Amino acid sequence: MNEYKFEELSLEQQESFEYMVTEKKMSLFTELSGDNNPLHVAEQFAQHYGHDRGRVVYGMLTASLISTLGGMYLPGKYCLIQQVNIKFLAPVYIGDVLTVTGTIKNLYKSVKRAEILVEIKNHQMVKVVKAKLNVGFLE
Amino acid sequence: MAREEVYKRLNKVFQEVFDDEYITLSDNTTADDIEDWDSLEHINLVVAIEDEFVLHFDMKEVAQFKNVGDMVDAILARG
Repeated sequence: MNEYKFEELSLEQQESFEYMVTEKKMSLFTELSGDNNPLHVAEQFAQHYGHDRGRVVYGMLTASLISTLGGMYLPGKYCLIQQVNIKFLAPVYIGDVLTVTGTIKNLYKSVKRAEILVEIKNHQMVKVVKAKLNVGFLE
Repeated sequence: MAREEVYKRLNKVFQEVFDDEYITLSDNTTADDIEDWDSLEHINLVVAIEDEFVLHFDMKEVAQFKNVGDMVDAILARG
């Protein structure tokens, strides 16, 4: 886990990590969220609606990686997530290996806030999520 | 920059941050007058003001803002 404090960050600083979506993680998320929508749990239903690769991974499972980015990588230990604006650009499927990258775009010293651009790409380099993450810092 | 112009732009910033087109500011407006003005929105507000007026407040200054009049004074002090 990184332990960046506000003063240690600089513009364009970047951190990234990889995450593989598995059957097990999907099942755990179904249980955790209670979202049994067939697009996520029924293979044939997803295929019928144009998803040849089967069940679509929950957008919120992918979005949870933004929490991981903030809490573990950028800034890490002292992170306090204040706001997330997210766009889901393309579907994610089981077996995809995602690369989550955060880049510091703004630093507001007066209120100790870092604005982080988050991009999540799949292993085919297709951007699946673009988000803006605003974090504060534990004192 | 004239005080009226600052108010015009600041009103717009407040309306956008609080998603309320009916906000009209005065020198005496405080967090008590705007329902959603909590500590997180205060951060959003400061950031939005810094972006709008292309300036940076310092931490001490932000902590000393008692009302909108103080904010306007701080903006005007930067020209």
